[in-house]
Amino acid sequence: MKAAASESLPPLARNSHAMHCKLCLSGLPFSQVEMDSSRIALGFYCLGTLDLLGVLETKTTPSEREAWRNWLWEQQTHGRYGSGFKPSPYMTSDILLDEESEFDTPHLIMTYTALMSLAILRDDFSKLDRPGILKFLRSCQRGDGSFSASPNGGEADLRIVYCAFVISSLLDDWSGMNVDAAIAYVQRCSSYEGGYGQTPFGEALGGTTYCAVASLYLAPSTPLSPIEHRLSSSERSRIIRWLVQKQTSLGGFSGRTAKAADACYCFWCGAALNILGAGDLVDSAALASFLGKCQYQFGGISKAPSERADPYHTYLSLAALAIYKPKGTNESWELPQVDVLRNATVDTALWARNRIRAGEV
Amino acid sequence: MYDFSEVEPLYAERPDWADVTPLQQYQGVDPLAPINYSTEYQDATDYFRGIVKTGEISLRVLQLTEHIIRMNPGHYSAWQYRYRILLALQLPLEEELRLMDQYAIDFLKTYQVWHHRRLLLGALRSVDAAAAELEFVARALDTDEKNYHTWSYRQWILAHFNDEARLWAGERAWVEHMVERDVRNNSAWHHRFFIVWGSGMRVGDEDRERTLKRELMYVKEKIALAPNNPSAWNYLRGILEHTHTPFSTQAIFVQLYTTSASTPGDVFDLDNPPPSASAVLPCENALEFLADIYEQEGGAQISKAIEIWRSLADEHDTMRRKYWEYRIKGASQT
Repeated sequence: MKAAASESLPPLARNSHAMHCKLCLSGLPFSQVEMDSSRIALGFYCLGTLDLLGVLETKTTPSEREAWRNWLWEQQTHGRYGSGFKPSPYMTSDILLDEESEFDTPHLIMTYTALMSLAILRDDFSKLDRPGILKFLRSCQRGDGSFSASPNGGEADLRIVYCAFVISSLLDDWSGMNVDAAIAYVQRCSSYEGGYGQTPFGEALGGTTYCAVASLYLAPSTPLSPIEHRLSSSERSRIIRWLVQKQTSLGGFSGRTAKAADACYCFWCGAALNILGAGDLVDSAALASFLGKCQYQFGGISKAPSERADPYHTYLSLAALAIYKPKGTNESWELPQVDVLRNATVDTALWARNRIRAGEV
Repeated sequence: MYDFSEVEPLYAERPDWADVTPLQQYQGVDPLAPINYSTEYQDATDYFRGIVKTGEISLRVLQLTEHIIRMNPGHYSAWQYRYRILLALQLPLEEELRLMDQYAIDFLKTYQVWHHRRLLLGALRSVDAAAAELEFVARALDTDEKNYHTWSYRQWILAHFNDEARLWAGERAWVEHMVERDVRNNSAWHHRFFIVWGSGMRVGDEDRERTLKRELMYVKEKIALAPNNPSAWNYLRGILEHTHTPFSTQAIFVQLYTTSASTPGDVFDLDNPPPSASAVLPCENALEFLADIYEQEGGAQISKAIEIWRSLADEHDTMRRKYWEYRIKGASQT
């Protein structure tokens, strides 16, 4: 039955998935207006899809890539909070004349996704204000160790903590945060079920369990928190148990206990298991069979079969398939290796680490 | 609530807005994923950028922010500015909450809606308002009973105001009602753990042994009702681990669920409610639990654990075959 599952896999519709994301990069209808306050993240999922499919060079022109790099850099702002990237110019009237506004501040998730997008576009990062980014991180960390998305407020939860950790790891400089306080916050989000909630006391959730696990593996050892003692073996077993339990009978993962499978959790749960060294526990044939069915007939991958596709689910599904290659499939399913901690192809993550690192000229 | 459904002229055409200089969004290099704004949205946001520049705080701007939020509930600058106006003009925040009730239901999945409520409640510092919020959340959950934002907002209200008599006191009864409605709602089970074990101690729960006994009774009754319910099993495991109670204390109960046929005893044992006659047995969660008991006991019992994991891998839970084999390997090595 397992073998049959992979034999009956449809081809991965690479070209349609690439076109879906290319189309979003060129413009969105007004029904997507909510994306304005997270446009860089959307761009990251589109560019990341093209990167995973290995078609960035063939499906986009050098001038398009240059325009996107320039646009991304225009979102880097400098002010008393330091430097970071804002989601889009939706609150900007004039980029040169505008003095810093309380209502147009940089955003931590956007800063992480901007850096990864620029790495996908092979930017040289000569325009990156490294000390400014560190200052921005410091202005976002709160007393409880967590990070808020913006220096003057907004959501503060494990997703934002993860972004701060990746940014510090790319800079190879952890002076932008109190690492021990941040790790203590991550640990407080652990739930009785084994997974991690979005905030302390929250219900265990696949996405934030990934954020927690990746953060615990990204941060360097400190005297108070040596990396080898960060997760006890019983904690590790509890997380693994919870994650494995999330693979549903359809083959896809759900984000919470007793919820339906959703393509994005194939990455969040699957990648967390991989980080924990338990990737071989995933039924990868069943996972691919589910994601194969989530392919939307007009391109892109959706959260569940017969739903509409979007770049977020398309990118995360492909990233999950890159980690869990289905056996015995044709070359349409071939995807490059990914850096599971930073959520990008190994080549892109390496580019980012080499160019973003502080002190490199 | 201002009725935006009526066709209003654009701000650019309204004499009462003629004193404001609209500011167009910056259009520089070719943008990434540009949004094809509607004329109405572009007009409203042009005037909003103009307002932010001058810093005007007024009722007409309050209305402008509502207009923008209606079109784009994710516009967090509009939310931020709205909150600033409410405070500066000392407007009645309860009224704002009532206005927001419908928005919260319409935009249940938008983070900003819930964040705005938190800010309002934080500024109100009123336990009455907090108690009213619990009622509102209960209504919001009618629309989507597993919504993550809604549940975490309820948990925030309880923890932030931390009022035993007005807020916590009715909470266990309320969440019991939620579990009654859907015994598989994991968010409700999680909430129960939060109020009984996670956040401080409730009045009446000081005797922790009695509390544990009550909770064991409760969860076991729910398992008897629907044995294949991972949420209830996770709750059972969670409270045992939290109170450092060995799993083996539940051996008699669990074994009622690991056999393939329900065998009702002569005497109904209140501590160990049996599965209903129609239950699908054996129950995977019970098998896993029993194997954990054997593993904890160690020694000769390990082989019994391995036998169960084998049956899970080969028969009852083949999707997780590799996981059960990993458990076998782990136990064999120690």
